[in-house]
This record gives sequence, structure tokens and C-alpha cells, in this order.
Amino acid sequence: MGATDLLPLQRFSVIEVNDRDIPQCLRLATSLAGKIAADLGADVLKIEPPGGDPVRRAPPFLPHGESALFQFLNTSKRSLVLDLASDAGRVTLGKLLDAADAVLFEEPASVAAELRIKHATPIEIAAFPVEMKATTRPASEFTILALGGLLHMVGEPERKPLKLGGHQASYAAGLTAFTGLAAALAAREAGRTASAVRISLAEVMQWVNWKAASGADATGVSPGREGKRSEFQIVPCRDGYVAIVYTVTQWPAVRTLIGDPRLDDRKFTTRADRRRNVTELYEVIRPWFADKTRLEVQALAQARGVPFGPIFSPAELLETEQYVARSFFAEVAHPRLGTLRLPQLPVQWNGQSFAPRPAPELPT
Amino acid sequence: MTVRPLSGVRVLDFGLLTAGANTSAMLADLGAEVFKIESGAYLDPFRVVGKSDNADGWWNRSPQFRFTNRNKRGLALNLKDPRGQHVIRALAAQCDVVVENFRRGVLDRAGLGYRELSAINPGIVFAAISSQGDTGPERMNVSFGSTLDATSGIAALTGYEGEEPRISGMDVNYPDQIVSLFAAGMVITAIMEARRSGKGCFLDFSQREVASFTLGEEILASACDPKRTEARRGNAAEGVTQQDAYRCRDGRWIAVTSESAQPGLLAFCAGRTSAEAVAELLARGLAVAPCNDGNDLLRDTALAGVTLVRDEKGQLVKGLPYRLDGRGITIERAAPDLGQHTEEVLRNLLGYDEAKLEELAKAGVTSVTPDVGDV
Repeated sequence: MGATDLLPLQRFSVIEVNDRDIPQCLRLATSLAGKIAADLGADVLKIEPPGGDPVRRAPPFLPHGESALFQFLNTSKRSLVLDLASDAGRVTLGKLLDAADAVLFEEPASVAAELRIKHATPIEIAAFPVEMKATTRPASEFTILALGGLLHMVGEPERKPLKLGGHQASYAAGLTAFTGLAAALAAREAGRTASAVRISLAEVMQWVNWKAASGADATGVSPGREGKRSEFQIVPCRDGYVAIVYTVTQWPAVRTLIGDPRLDDRKFTTRADRRRNVTELYEVIRPWFADKTRLEVQALAQARGVPFGPIFSPAELLETEQYVARSFFAEVAHPRLGTLRLPQLPVQWNGQSFAPRPAPELPT
Repeated sequence: MTVRPLSGVRVLDFGLLTAGANTSAMLADLGAEVFKIESGAYLDPFRVVGKSDNADGWWNRSPQFRFTNRNKRGLALNLKDPRGQHVIRALAAQCDVVVENFRRGVLDRAGLGYRELSAINPGIVFAAISSQGDTGPERMNVSFGSTLDATSGIAALTGYEGEEPRISGMDVNYPDQIVSLFAAGMVITAIMEARRSGKGCFLDFSQREVASFTLGEEILASACDPKRTEARRGNAAEGVTQQDAYRCRDGRWIAVTSESAQPGLLAFCAGRTSAEAVAELLARGLAVAPCNDGNDLLRDTALAGVTLVRDEKGQLVKGLPYRLDGRGITIERAAPDLGQHTEEVLRNLLGYDEAKLEELAKAGVTSVTPDVGDV
């Protein structure tokens, strides 16, 4: 939004507590939720342990050696270093919480018990559901993806399962924590008692992967990774790869697009037919892509309403016409690191984006 | 029981499949009253995708629809008929939020876009969720689930070491799943603003942007260092010493993350059942977990937490991704049959009488059966 507009969460104060000795997968979720609130205007104060949030030293790194991960996850926040192992540190935190609307923290935090009973509404991020009684069990995003069943869904059936790129387990939980935070603020503002919110990465991953449970419940057989047996595959084209994706009703348009009479064969008529004969199907489809670029494929496919997906790398996204037209990337002027190009919050409010401000330096 | 955060909020829900319908479901779970609008001529595609038989009422038996649309009331109104449009405008005057994920322009053409509805109700929060957003040269582009794995950057970072990219696939459609987690929070933020100022707003969500947003640090690192190459690295992660999936003696895979090198893990796992390997590696202090499938998730109720619940008919549906005051949700109403609550809502909210309801039914503006043929 423009500098003169009031940001929607401007009147709220949120404390984000980053204690020491917390698994990184939880830190990332907490920080993402805080970042979204801060970009929307909330006064988000990040409490860092002496030496700073360890994410300040986590990859990927910028050429100067600074953490890109930290710079992305902490935009628009303020920061304060507190030693929560000391009485003085805890007293200071207590005072800050008396004046705050909500506090974001992780279940294993040394101060968790105190944070749960304060004036500020607690938004707590954990690795596992309460019922697992696993507060101290080691956790990583990768093992959470496995527990939640998402790992089982990607890759070849005979080979090892694969994780999705990026910090999906932590970030899906961070998005969820933001929604929980928004609900708490709305309740408080309406003069109601806000419920304490608890998010676990394992529950969020299962919730995201609900079709595995619904599929197993409906048929007794769990969906799983299908790799080269899937109707949706990746094919090479002249300058990269394209994901073949289409709905049942879009099949006739796919046939017309590829224009090979062999696709009219009855063995490809229904989804079940195409899955049964998927190797032959791809023998017919694949050559069409060989002499076309990703953008040519996209233009030809979209002209017929076919949702084939050209595969772009993060670097290529910076040049994407659609993202440039929508100003999806903000240029953040960092006092020491120069201009940083970051994706903005993925929403426009009356046509306006929320420009992030730089992440805080480690206070000295 | 505490009054829920969105108690008193009414939502006019044109959401389809997961991205739209689940955003409204999350609002319903927080106490909002959600009116899901379909029509006999156009069902939520989840009713069709989940079709298991041709017997009468098949459109009311889809598991995918049931999972996503619990806690809503269902109306069927023909949006192409001016009388149907009139009803929608009357409903919009009584609602606080609109959620829609039609292709761009569909509601505008029916005279039901943000411009028209905000003229009737200036306080309305209008959440438009689309593949590419409401502006830009690709605004009319179509996508379906994993299209956005590809175009968002996620697929480029997913795959076996040095091999081709991978998508999450039709049984996950990952980009569709995460948008509601963010959109629900933004709608709540806009509701607060509308309560305060009396002014609603147009929220324009691009699902592709939501997916790319999850790669923020990769995009930033690439922007600062054009020579940076992101490669597909299987299950390895930058900064983590050892991380992969290993096959155990019982044929099951387990996932291990270790900050120190663990030589011999392959042979260790091959010589043990997955349960033994998980227990022993946990005792060593490693992050380790079995690779669960859908049946494992149904069996392990402690792991499921509040993510799965049963409706009043005893059928399994989607629960919550978080808990409030330690609890999940009780399903107050099962997913609606097509048009199940049309008359109830028109009678109670708009004061329609029997003659008027009958007239609309006769004209085919309201319905309880699809007028599409075999789908």
C-alpha cells in the first residue's frame, strides 16, 4: 500500500519470541507468521537470544555472506536481544507482553509456560500434535513431511520418496499461524476472549495432504507416488521442461493441440484408458514438445484452454512477464546490503501490494 | 463455550474445489455462517471428480466434496438467469464476505462482480482467488493444481539428484492446498478493517504467487547472485549434513535428518524393520520418521490430532490445521446436498414466500438436481 495509507494491522502489537535451542523447522514457521503480520503493519517485535536468531546464519546466503532466509522471513520487524535464561531478561519480556496483543513462540521454548498465561494471546508452534506427547522428540521439516504422508506422494514408486522444494512444512505452518493470529486479533478487537492457538507442523502437513486420507478412506487403498505411471508427467522441450496437466474435460482440447491422429485411438478415450496405456500415450505426446520453447508451448496450450505448466526456476521468475506486470517483487532498500528483490505478500488489497521494510540488524 | 472469532459474519461462497471452497470452510470453522452457491448447470467440480456410481443422487456422495464443504449451507441458483442474479444481489446485501475462484470475468459478466456488489454493500470484503491474479497479461490463463508446481518454481527444486523436475501430482495438487491457509487470514484482516471503517475491499489472490512466495529466500538469493544455480538435490538440504529416505527390511521407507554424518545408515536400515530403525535412531537423538501413507494416517489417531473428524452421519471429513484452546472442531452440519438450503435461506434471510419460491423452482432458477448430463 502507499506510504500515506494506514496499514490494516497497524494498531496491533505482536511479540515474536525466538528462544535458543529450538529446531529450525519451528523457527521458520514462527518467523513467517510474524513477517506477514509485520508486512501488514503490525508492530512485530522479534526477541532474539544473545548472538541473534540462528537463522541469521542459515543458507541460502547472499554474496555478502548474509542469510537470504533471514532477510526474507523478518521483513518489517523490530528486534531486541534478550537473555531469557536471566531473571532480567524474563522481567523485560513480561513487561513487553503486558502491552502486546499476541505472542508467537515455539512449544519447546524455555519460557513457554509463562507465555501461555499472559495478557497477550498465545500463538504456539509445535512439531507434533498434543496427543503424541512428543515435546522433546527431534524434528525436521523432512521427517514431518514423511509423518504427514506428503513424502509418500512424490517420486517413482520403486525408488525413494522425494521432498518438495523449499521449506514447505514450515511455511505451510507459518501461513496457518498467521490465520490463527488474525482470528485471535479479530476476537480481541470485538471484545471477545481470544482462544489460545496451537499449530503443529505435523497436523498442518496431514491437513494439506487430506486427499491421501480421503482416498484411503473411500477405497481402502492409499494414493501414492506414481512417477512414470501417472497421467501427469514432465516432458522435455527445446529450452527446458513442461508439466503435462489437464482435467478430464480438457482431454479433447489436448488431443486437438497435439494434433496426432493416434490420440483418437480408443485406448486413450477415458482417464482409466489413458492411465492403462500411459507409456504409449507419452510416446505419442512427447515429440510435439521437442522443437518448441516453454513459452511457445504455454501460448499454444493456453490458446486452447489447456493448463500445461512450463517449469521456471526461481531466478527465471524474476523476469516473468506476469510477475513484472503485477509488481510481485518488491525492491527493499537495505541500509547495509543495498537493494534486495523479494516477493511481496501474495495478495493485492484494492490493487495495492504491501511493500516490505528491511529486516532488522542484530542490535549491539 | 466462548463466542467464536467470526460469529455473526456471513459469507457468500462461490468457492470451488479446494482453493476457494476451503477458504470459506476455514471461515465457517471460525464461526462464520457460510452460504455455498452452486447451480444445477454448474456443480462444484468436486461433486463430479469424486463420482463413484451413476445412481440417483450421485452428486451428493463425493468424498472430496464432503471433506471440503462441511459446516456450510448449500444453495443452487442459476447465475445466468437474471432472476438468479437478483437473488444473489439480495443475499450480498446481507453478507459480509464474498469468496470466489471462478475464472476471471465470470461474475462480472453476470453483474455480480466486486463493482456491482460493493455498490449494494460498501462494507463487503470480496476475496477473488485465481490462478494468476486479477491483472496482468496472464490473468485469463487456466491452471489446474500441479500447473502451478511448474510455473511457481517449486517443481524446479523438486526431483532426484540431477534428474528432471517433479510435480506434486493430481493426488496432492500442492499449490491448491496452501492458498486457503493464507487467504483465510487475509479475509479476517479485511473483516476487521471493514468493521472499523465501514469500508470493504477487493482482495486479489494469485495462487501462483502464493506458491512462489514459499520460495522467497531462493528468489532473493537468485536476484542477488545471478550465477547461483539451484539444482535438484533429491532430499538433501543446504546446511544439513545428512538427510534422506532409507528403505528398511520390511520394505518401508523412513526419513532421517542428521546434523552429523551417519555412515552406514543404508545398511543399518536394510537390516531392521522400519519400526526398529525409527526407535533406535530416535534413541540416538536423530530426527527420524516413517514415510506414512493414507492408511497409516487413518490408523494413527494421535498423529492425526485434530485434522480429521466425523460429521453427523459418521463420515470422515477434514478437521482443522490448528486448534483453539486445545480443541479441534465439532462438525455442526455435514456438507450440503445440492440446493439443500436454498428455500430455507431465501425464506429466512430474504423473506421470500411459498409462491415466490415455487415460481423460482418452476423457472429452473433454483434446483436440487444437476441439469448436466452424464459427466
